[in-house]
Amino acid sequence: MKKDTWHIGGHELHSRFFIGTGLFPNPYVQKEAIRASGAEVLTFAIRRVNLASTEDDSILQHVEGEAFRYLPNTSGASTADEAVRIARLARASGLSDWIKVEISANERTLLPDPLETLKATEILVKEGFTVLPYTSDDPVLCKRLEEAGAAAVMPGAAPIGTGLGILNPYHIGLIVEEAKVPIIVDAGLGSAADVVQAMELGVAGVLMNTPVAKAKDPVGMAMAMKLAIEAGRLSYLSGRIAKKRYASASSGHEQFLLK
Amino acid sequence: MGETVVIMGGGVIGLSCAFELQRRGHQAILLEINRCGGQASGAAAGMLAPFSENVEGPDAFFHLGKESLRLYPGWRDAIRSISGRYFEYSDSGSLYIAYHEADRLALEGRLLWQREHGSSGVLLEGDELFRKEPLLSRQVKAALYTPAESHLYAPDYVEALEHACRLTGVHFHEQLGGLEVAEWRDAVVVQAKDGRRFGGDRLLVCTGAWAQELEETLGIRIPVYPIRGQICAYEAEINPVHHMVFSNQGYLVSKENGTLVCGASEDVAGFDTTVTERGIERLRNWNKQAFPFLAEQTPFHRWAGLRPSTQDGYPLLGPLEESGRVIMAAGHYRNGILLSPVTAKAVADYIDGIKLPEMMEAFAPGRFTY
Repeated sequence: MKKDTWHIGGHELHSRFFIGTGLFPNPYVQKEAIRASGAEVLTFAIRRVNLASTEDDSILQHVEGEAFRYLPNTSGASTADEAVRIARLARASGLSDWIKVEISANERTLLPDPLETLKATEILVKEGFTVLPYTSDDPVLCKRLEEAGAAAVMPGAAPIGTGLGILNPYHIGLIVEEAKVPIIVDAGLGSAADVVQAMELGVAGVLMNTPVAKAKDPVGMAMAMKLAIEAGRLSYLSGRIAKKRYASASSGHEQFLLK
Repeated sequence: MGETVVIMGGGVIGLSCAFELQRRGHQAILLEINRCGGQASGAAAGMLAPFSENVEGPDAFFHLGKESLRLYPGWRDAIRSISGRYFEYSDSGSLYIAYHEADRLALEGRLLWQREHGSSGVLLEGDELFRKEPLLSRQVKAALYTPAESHLYAPDYVEALEHACRLTGVHFHEQLGGLEVAEWRDAVVVQAKDGRRFGGDRLLVCTGAWAQELEETLGIRIPVYPIRGQICAYEAEINPVHHMVFSNQGYLVSKENGTLVCGASEDVAGFDTTVTERGIERLRNWNKQAFPFLAEQTPFHRWAGLRPSTQDGYPLLGPLEESGRVIMAAGHYRNGILLSPVTAKAVADYIDGIKLPEMMEAFAPGRFTY
């Protein structure tokens, strides 16, 4: 069987789990949870990192020496200009040329600002970044981001950290249908069931932090999410049955009777 | 009639519980395998900062810390007056500094919920900020000023607490080498390495990073991990830093004895308390970004302690489900000093038959067992 790998910006990925490094109760649990998740891509806020010496950073030092790809994000930016400045800082520090554009205007909802996100994506693509914008679950907007050169588009399931799950599965499904780049559901997932649902809708991957880091057992939850991604992906590939209004016997032995 | 409570562990949590139980008319028997206050307690920087330590939201842990800070002035006065010993306690307030404009949003979000929960914090920037903290790097864009936070000098506090315990009649047994819980279901008996047995009505487990050793005996999961925290201190002639200064990389705090303490470099190293060059260099790399004058200075003192952290970051605090004879108070991570009064109160309230607030269920020791 062909291996179910996928690509972002020419880079081959095996895991479909992008995991955030923040919010863990301590470095030990953080390390173990990241290991259990099987994730290859780690994401974190650039403003939280000591860019002057990233290997000494209070978070990154704990994952040093392992073969992760970093997806730094511009969280905290409220305009495209700010996000662009932060992205340039991250690249200059040698962290990564992948960038998750995250621009929120409202500190209570942290919902992405779609216009500024599009603007920042356009600028950063021109500057040669591999851009993964975090955005609202609007199908037209997601298409526009793809056309602007986004390497993957990351619509939110629900506001960051809420754990509300996929508020608009219809939109996520449409976004996947229209897309020619990977769609990654980012933010708002709460449980393994949400993850399975996302994967069954056909998204290429999911990005999570809070539902793992704030679980009672983050290591156990990281494993559960990894399995949910695999189950959902396999279910999507294997094709679910059509829904029927009435029962149909599953034993169906009459078809084997000799006529 | 008071009860006899056998306490395992003479760190700040064990000592605080002993003090509170003793002054409520119980008899505390404190058992310590080495010497009291010898681990994380004496290594702590003594920050009483529930707002700065909880940046995400008002969860149960935040409420516990805030309640403890509220109890502190009365607690401090009691310990000072009973022990007859002074220890530094400073209502300095804190600054949480930010280097990026992008941090503003996070600081504003924090202010929003913290002001609803008792903080009188404000955002400071420019001249207003530098007037408050003159030597702060001009690279700092803004800071969240939280006046409600304090700090104390942990080694003196722990010593005063121990002295207060002795004066109020706590029985101390130190240097026991090792302890084993021989009975806990119908009666409590703890046996020391030399064969001595200590009996009582209740068992209180305050063994911090070592609590995991009791998993098998007590039949519950106790996921407490030691996290090494390395700290260094500089000699400072005048008080160069006026507040507790936090950044996302660590903290700085000036003490009355003319030292400037910088912490903490955390790593996972089992029970090893060796100070490493790398760990201290990490502190020196960021702290000069907060206070440029530190670039020229070398710390005169470096040390490390083991912070007992649990799987979900909350302490194990309360009775066992199977038997209220055993109470746990362990896994306070880097907040043991802050949480000492509220932990002592919760433990003593439980023993006195006072119903604990519902919020305490978040800390139930049995929550990891399934």
